[in-house]
Amino acid sequence: MKDVLIPVLLILLAPLLGGLLYGFERIVKARMQRRIGPPLLQPFYDFLKLADKRRMMVHSTHAFLGIMHFVSLWFALAVLLLGGDLVLVIFLHLLSTSLLILAGYSTRSVFSHLGANRAAISVLAYEPVLIIIAVSIFMLNGTFDTAAVFTGKEPLLYKMPLAFIALLLVLPIKLKKSPFDVAEAHQEITGGVELEFSGLFYEAVYTARWLDYIFCYTLVFLFAGSNILLGIGLVVFTFIYLNALDNSTARVSYKQMLRFSLGVAGTLAFINLLINSFS
Amino acid sequence: MNLAPYRKKSPWILHYNAGGCNGCDIEILACLSPKYDIERFGMINTGNPKQSDILLVTGPVTKRSRERLVEIYAQMPEPKVVISCGACASTGGVFRGMYNCEGGVDQFIPVDVYVCGCGTRPEQIIDGVVQALAILEKKTKGLEESVKLKKEAVKEGHQLNRRHIADEIKPVLT
Repeated sequence: MKDVLIPVLLILLAPLLGGLLYGFERIVKARMQRRIGPPLLQPFYDFLKLADKRRMMVHSTHAFLGIMHFVSLWFALAVLLLGGDLVLVIFLHLLSTSLLILAGYSTRSVFSHLGANRAAISVLAYEPVLIIIAVSIFMLNGTFDTAAVFTGKEPLLYKMPLAFIALLLVLPIKLKKSPFDVAEAHQEITGGVELEFSGLFYEAVYTARWLDYIFCYTLVFLFAGSNILLGIGLVVFTFIYLNALDNSTARVSYKQMLRFSLGVAGTLAFINLLINSFS
Repeated sequence: MNLAPYRKKSPWILHYNAGGCNGCDIEILACLSPKYDIERFGMINTGNPKQSDILLVTGPVTKRSRERLVEIYAQMPEPKVVISCGACASTGGVFRGMYNCEGGVDQFIPVDVYVCGCGTRPEQIIDGVVQALAILEKKTKGLEESVKLKKEAVKEGHQLNRRHIADEIKPVLT
């Protein structure tokens, strides 16, 4: 009973926790730039304000795809937290991202198309690395289930440190952080796929980003296994690393991003896979 | 549930330069810098009309940019407010009467707050935005149309051009 209660609570409260995390991140980012920053509850104020705007949509399929992006991402998070198949989780996440890419292609806006192209390239950059990491976990545990990882005695971090470094290198792509934020690129293509969403329908995409934070930090937590203190340490380290990286780097082009993630992060993950399969 | 009080807690700003000298734009960017830090009021410079609440216009409206200005205004969902930032956006400024300029922003879209100065100071911009927030809270979700869409088109020869100005100077020279 207790084993199920905590994941279910986490799943139900995931949008709330993600919103708080996003608000906290904005404060941390502002403090790194010696600014004061917005209040902690700022994402929820944004949420309530967006609900108050006049409803506008491009066409119904576009709005529907945006909402389904949120729903499928929440479902992927639920499968991950309840100890489901890791490959299934990665592909569910891919499904939710591809729904958003489809939404981007379904409008006639040039920026939306450009953003969808770039989002598709980002998927191409991080997806192989995540799958190699999942296969490495299979080689160690003999199963893809995350339940086996959460209950494992020795943390994965000690057995596959190279995979953790590879994950750290691809996380900025997944969370659309600088230097790998070509997919979003605010002020260049003004949000890319999110461009045509407005008001109530933008909320689905906006809150899906909060869920994405929880999803990515759960992936990081996975490397600590049953060691909760180590897990919290890893999450805090990743949080500071991501924000410092976001504040200190400029955007690279999509070709550089692809070359870096497949060349460096992909190679690291693959070496890790070889070590794990032959040791 | 009354959501109107949350409007002023997260105003998202869209900044459009209708053809000015970039002096006011630099001051708007200075508002985002650590010294003034308008993000502490929850403001974001979005750059996307479909998700923003406040339209900050700088510069006089040129003949090329007026259609874009009206288009951007029409794309913003209500409730929305318009701030004309600087002397040029409010009246036309030093560009008033030039052959390529139409003059102030209020000929085309309804302006709620005028901010004076050439260029405006960041303190003035922040003060203008705070006044605009008070207006934003009272606005309804009813459709707002631009002035340009209601008014008839500007007639040919309505504006002064270089030749007109030269005509006035000629008698003085001879």
